[in-house]
Amino acid sequence: MKIVNFLINQEETSTEYHIYLKGELDLSVAPQLRSVLEPLVNKMDKTLVLNLKDLRYIDSTGIGIIISILKIRDELKAPFVVREIPKSIQRLFDLTGISDFLTEGTET
Amino acid sequence: MNHIHLQIPAHADYMDIVRLSLYGIATHIGFSFEEIDDMKVAVTEACTNAVLHANTSKETGTIDISFALEDGSLGILVKDNGPGFNYRQALDEAKPLNAAETSDLRTGGMGLFLIQALMDEVDIRTNNGTEVSMKKYITVKSPLYVD
Repeated sequence: MKIVNFLINQEETSTEYHIYLKGELDLSVAPQLRSVLEPLVNKMDKTLVLNLKDLRYIDSTGIGIIISILKIRDELKAPFVVREIPKSIQRLFDLTGISDFLTEGTET
Repeated sequence: MNHIHLQIPAHADYMDIVRLSLYGIATHIGFSFEEIDDMKVAVTEACTNAVLHANTSKETGTIDISFALEDGSLGILVKDNGPGFNYRQALDEAKPLNAAETSDLRTGGMGLFLIQALMDEVDIRTNNGTEVSMKKYITVKSPLYVD
């Protein structure tokens, strides 16, 4: 028994696959996130969007997952955007150096 | 110096309990929220390594977490009883991403870098398991803290 403190919401628009992450992303929920991303990460017809607005915690496990998405999308030349990065998470992105590789989209 | 001890099964499902405990303890001695966020990541990284490397047999091991409350600082010790790996070498190689191209990015090895970057003192010993010893000093007392 465990209280769920991580949620993934998916939305599909005419141009985007939108994934909203909410709560705390650590090793315990990494398999859950990977299984949601797996069928989407190779789809080239739409932009893959990761929205972090409600993400309260991330560490090297989550950052590692984002890096693997970046690499796959880069190789496919398929668009990938990370949106609404909270300040505390942006700090970790800057510290690890992943910021330089992220395309940050603004909410439309 | 006062100590608070916590023992969890070496499974990722219990790491949020470590973060919650840390939050309570760090708030109690006056850390700011930003410093607590840093420590949450550092302690989770140490537990993540323990979970990934501590379990050898089918049986789940345990992780011991010890908090040392001092005036102006918090020491955190994360100890597992697994075989561990070459921490000394890994620690020397821990660094941020510095690839020129996205295709050159590494996906692993960032945990130890974050521990070092977010804590003021870090020491790792391997002897019947792995001990990650970390310390953070309070730089800005939380405005909510009363001496």
